[in-house]
Amino acid sequence: MSRNDIRLRRQRLSGSGSHRFRNYGDVLERHERDMKIKKIVKVFTYFAIILIVVMLIIIVTRTGERLDDDHKGTTSRMEKVFHKRT
Amino acid sequence: MTEGELQQERAIIERSRKDPRAFGELYERYFERIFNFIYRQTDDEELAGDLCSQTFINALNGLSRFEFRGVPFSAWLYKIASNEVNKHYRKSKGKQIFSLEEVRVKELIESSDLTWDEEQVQQLLQFMKDLPTDMLQVLELRFFEDKDFREIAFILDITESGAKMRTYRALDKLRRNFNIKVKYDESK
Repeated sequence: MSRNDIRLRRQRLSGSGSHRFRNYGDVLERHERDMKIKKIVKVFTYFAIILIVVMLIIIVTRTGERLDDDHKGTTSRMEKVFHKRT
Repeated sequence: MTEGELQQERAIIERSRKDPRAFGELYERYFERIFNFIYRQTDDEELAGDLCSQTFINALNGLSRFEFRGVPFSAWLYKIASNEVNKHYRKSKGKQIFSLEEVRVKELIESSDLTWDEEQVQQLLQFMKDLPTDMLQVLELRFFEDKDFREIAFILDITESGAKMRTYRALDKLRRNFNIKVKYDESK
């Protein structure tokens, strides 16, 4: 089986076939639309990154506080036991 | 392309980065060439029109990333167009089409004997069908788009020596199988 499909054209390529596709206004419009989408995606990505960082900070702070509370709780219980003994 | 013309293109690109409307000049200049290049690889006007528009949109979207590397701006457009065509064939999973003009093929080929018959043309086409696609791409750029090896290397993302090697290998096969030579200026 052949790898490619080779076709032989009797006529030369002329510019007339391409005329109906030539429309810079449309290209410009689609470019502007693409740029808008790109900007929205960029803003959304930054927003998502900031949100993730803030959530991480909150999680780390809360975990720290909980660990501190646990540590304080353990210390005070140990102090009570120590005082009872003395 | 002269140094002056390259500088002129550079100035248009600089203007286009600030105002995309300025890119219209390059669009008008290269539209037909890019359209024909895509059409030769698709043989479908509607598809060629779509891929051609997408090529210019991609070029405009990525204009800020464009760097001058001593090749004309058109080489970058050919590169984008070539990627668009490859993307289309990857999606459609079809055989890559190469639609060649009979007159151009006959012009390029210097037959050892003067008889150039239909059977010989058909044998040549059959031979080309079995050539690797990358070899055909190089041949197309070299003989139908008249690109030099530096531009071909840039368009296909290969080295200049790689482009030369692919061309010479294909031409050597042609010479051995058909006893025909392809006319071209080696100094280009």
